[in-house]
Amino acid sequence: MSEHVILFAGPMGAGKTTAIRALSEIEVVSTEATNSDRASADKATTTVALDYGEISVNAAEKVRLYGIPGQRRFDFMWSILAERAEGLVLLVNADAQNPVETAIEFVKEFFALYERGGIVIGLTRADLVPQTLIEEYANALADEMPDVLIPVFTVDARSNADMNVLLMTLVANVELRQAVTANPRLTSGRAR
Amino acid sequence: MTIATHLDPTYISRGELALSGLKDLAPSLGYATILTEDGFSVVSVEGNELDSNRFASMASSTQALADAVARELQLGDNEFVIVAAEQGHVVQVRVDGHPLVLAALFTDKQTIGKSLAAARRTARRLTVFLTVE
Repeated sequence: MSEHVILFAGPMGAGKTTAIRALSEIEVVSTEATNSDRASADKATTTVALDYGEISVNAAEKVRLYGIPGQRRFDFMWSILAERAEGLVLLVNADAQNPVETAIEFVKEFFALYERGGIVIGLTRADLVPQTLIEEYANALADEMPDVLIPVFTVDARSNADMNVLLMTLVANVELRQAVTANPRLTSGRAR
Repeated sequence: MTIATHLDPTYISRGELALSGLKDLAPSLGYATILTEDGFSVVSVEGNELDSNRFASMASSTQALADAVARELQLGDNEFVIVAAEQGHVVQVRVDGHPLVLAALFTDKQTIGKSLAAARRTARRLTVFLTVE
């Protein structure tokens, strides 16, 4: 059985744990702790090590889903988990402060995964902000990284269907990159 | 507004009091911190050269991972965590009744059992101190 390892990143409260729970076919392994600083983020618990879930693409293919802690003070976990990952699902809560800057920051932090397999962005809580924000994301990313192509979706992290679209877009990208790496002639449409 | 645990003067003063006796119990103590479950250092002793925030974050992750393993394997509650390395060992124990963990780094001059006993005793002392008004 072939496997993919996909990382879920994004700031605290973006919906990473929720998304992995929505997708996983096994009971998710979570490492949530009581959030002792409710003034900084008003949620009861926070991930302090990782979330882990699994989903089958088909009978011969499995995707391992790893969620990172959203807070930067746990960045040692970011590098440990990014080591084996092939692609990144970046979730950003659209109603947070400076969501565009946050997204760009995370893309830069995990740029190695873009080069390895790809990145997709899922904007959560997008119903709470003007629709133009999505365009703003695309424009800001294009300005900051002109040669980088990152799809941006609005998603409900609780929705299996929404998260599946996001995940399968990324998996397709990862497989395409792997196919091209294995056979560079696949990109030889250009004149030699 | 509720004050964050790691900024709460009661937790800080009681934590200092509890940690003050740890070095006597285990002279090879290199560093110790009381941290919140989510990785904020409340109070720490010894080893100023150590990045206390990073140590607390790592201890929080380690504790959560060990708890997850115990849970997944249906072993009941995780009692303590030990990381034993060539140059020393880290012992972690939860503080009963509070969302706190005691994490302590010891040099290799002492047995792990003695370090564990000292850490457990200190955590119990803190529980008592936090119970007293």
